Amino acid sequence: MDQKQISKEILLRMVKSFTTNEVAPFDMEIDHTRSYVNDLFNKIKKYDFLSTMLPKEYGGAGFDGETTAAMINEIARGNASLAVTLEGHFKSIDQIVKYGNQALKDEYLPQSKSRIIAFSMTEPSGGSNPLGIASHAEKKGDKWIINGDKIMITNGGLAEIYCVLVKTAPKELSFFVVDKDMPGFEYGKQENFLGLTGVPVGEIVMNNIEVDENHLLGKIGMGKEIGDSAHNDARVLMGAVLTGIMEHELNIVTDYATHRKAIDTPIIQMQGIQRKIADIAVAKETTKLLYQKAAWLKDHRQDYEQEAAMAKAYGSRSAVKSGDNALQILGGYGYSLDYPVEHLIRDARAMEIAEGTVEKMRTEIALIEAKNRA
Amino acid sequence: MKIVVCIKQVPETTNVKIDEKTKNIDRRGLGGVINSYDLHALKAALDIKNQVGGEVITLTMGPDDFAVSLQETLALGADKSVLLSDRAFAGADTLATGYVLGKAIEKIGNVDLVLLGQQSVDADTGQVGPIIAELLQVSQVTYADKMIAKNENLLIKRNLGTVEQEITAKLPLLATITETINEPEYTNVVEIAKSFDKTITTWHAKDLDLEDSRVGQAGSPTIVCSISSPEKVVKQGHKLADDPVAAAKELVAALKKQNVLAEDE
Ligand SMILES: Cc1cc2nc3c(=O)[nH]c(=O)nc-3n(C[C@H](O)[C@H](O)[C@H](O)COP(=O)(O)OP(=O)(O)OC[C@H]3O[C@@H](n4cnc5c(N)ncnc54)[C@H](O)[C@@H]3O)c2cc1C
Repeated sequence: MDQKQISKEILLRMVKSFTTNEVAPFDMEIDHTRSYVNDLFNKIKKYDFLSTMLPKEYGGAGFDGETTAAMINEIARGNASLAVTLEGHFKSIDQIVKYGNQALKDEYLPQSKSRIIAFSMTEPSGGSNPLGIASHAEKKGDKWIINGDKIMITNGGLAEIYCVLVKTAPKELSFFVVDKDMPGFEYGKQENFLGLTGVPVGEIVMNNIEVDENHLLGKIGMGKEIGDSAHNDARVLMGAVLTGIMEHELNIVTDYATHRKAIDTPIIQMQGIQRKIADIAVAKETTKLLYQKAAWLKDHRQDYEQEAAMAKAYGSRSAVKSGDNALQILGGYGYSLDYPVEHLIRDARAMEIAEGTVEKMRTEIALIEAKNRA
Repeated sequence: MKIVVCIKQVPETTNVKIDEKTKNIDRRGLGGVINSYDLHALKAALDIKNQVGGEVITLTMGPDDFAVSLQETLALGADKSVLLSDRAFAGADTLATGYVLGKAIEKIGNVDLVLLGQQSVDADTGQVGPIIAELLQVSQVTYADKMIAKNENLLIKRNLGTVEQEITAKLPLLATITETINEPEYTNVVEIAKSFDKTITTWHAKDLDLEDSRVGQAGSPTIVCSISSPEKVVKQGHKLADDPVAAAKELVAALKKQNVLAEDE
């Protein structure tokens, strides 16, 4: 084993034990209370989970995409919300690493060890269509003045640093980095979402926030490219979250079907039940292979856009369908709020919308398919 | 204080399978983890180091892939590690294992305190610690459940199940550690990367001053003849009558029926 493999093994040993002891037992409570009970968020900080993929030169652990995704997968087996909170942070760090100028990196990357960074594009007037946004930045002297309203931000309210998409001209999109401590920054309303209820998703309002030129991410007009890049990175990790959700579903149904009897036969012996469990298992494994391939391509500096879209598009639909199968296997208990299956369906459902709707991803997958043949 | 902590890598599962031929644990295909008791021993060592200063060295005997567990101890805060790896060590029972570990501790030299978990979760013997103490001719304290350094001595509370014992022990000393002594930390993610700045030294049989006949299979008098799980016995309870006199009569009758009491008693 080389250093990379040994590090990965040690990380995954730790994450497995952390998930089993600190996360999984609190899954239902996190869902019901809409918060990270058991002091979970502080524990995540204490053991430096936030620095998993942060490059070593900024004080991080420098794990690659494959290992980071495997870690997210493992945590999602215990609780999908916590995994999504980390996913949102990691994809934001990824964009600062890729597009930030040196001054921006030196300022914010070391801080990302303890302060969450969020990525915000969506506005009341535009989600799938970025040009529909109204937020804008104007240059005054050597400063930029930012105004606007951003909604539905993963970790909104919990995060302290935000990459925000704004217009710098009517058809020109650019990204800036703002900090909650800047004058003119305000937290807005929290969403009342159906699933992933542990993740705070919320709004920020920007009133004449003044930033230096070095808070520009990439160059003026690179908004679309950076947004797409963030989507790609997020989708790899969401494939991992969805795999974890399906593993959780499989744990529940195999245990239940082994012990539940119809007359005196465990229901796992019945073909109708077996088909459902087999379908969940195949969907789980397929999603896992898709996200692992996307992560591998990313680590080897090859195109991973299509595989990332496939992992999320296929994985999200499959996890919802698998959840429905799991609910059916548990019968009345599956339909109860006192059992965990129903919230797994709600959790998975979010990922048919967040980071690009499945409809948009199908378009992207098809267009890449056509481009590859042109 | 110079502290050596012996650790063992054990199969990850609680569902241990036995190799029919060798009657040993079948480790094929199983991921490994550090024996959970040893994590408590490591934490105890780090706590003592925190209190009085010094150095914590982790030590294991096993195949090369046990180095992962040593690396993990470095990430958890140990200062350096020694891996004892040699084909000649294979097939060792507790006696041959204790012998090689003891020789390695001698070679490390000037060790004040040796800590081990009270037992390993796969083999459950609890013998290796006491065997090393005998070999090194140092005092031993098993089941240490609390440990504080005080003026060159260690104040130790032993947990013997129904009895607790408080003792003052002189160094050098070997102690085996319970799982209630402390709460081990999880490995810090960033420390994993940093741990590669520390060193793991590998010693082979030739690096230690060993008698061939006391090593590996040759040095292992233990023969496992057969191994089996105890059968599950489901016992049925019986509630006696509520009235004490009737209950007493019923109980005496039942005990006579089971031949616990003689018919004429
Ligand atoms: C849990 C969660 C977390 C989120 N986190 C973030 C975040 O961190 N940052 C952030 O910026 N946003 C976030 N969002 C918002 C999310 O990105 C948007 O909801 C999403 O992009 C869709 O935008 P919309 O809601 O405005 O719907 P619309 O874009 O209005 O879409 C409405 C419908 O039209 C379809 N549609 C739209 N355009 C097309 C097209 N071109 N082709 C085919 N169909 C189309 C859509 O598929 C959808 O069915 C999050 C959302 C959720 C649910």
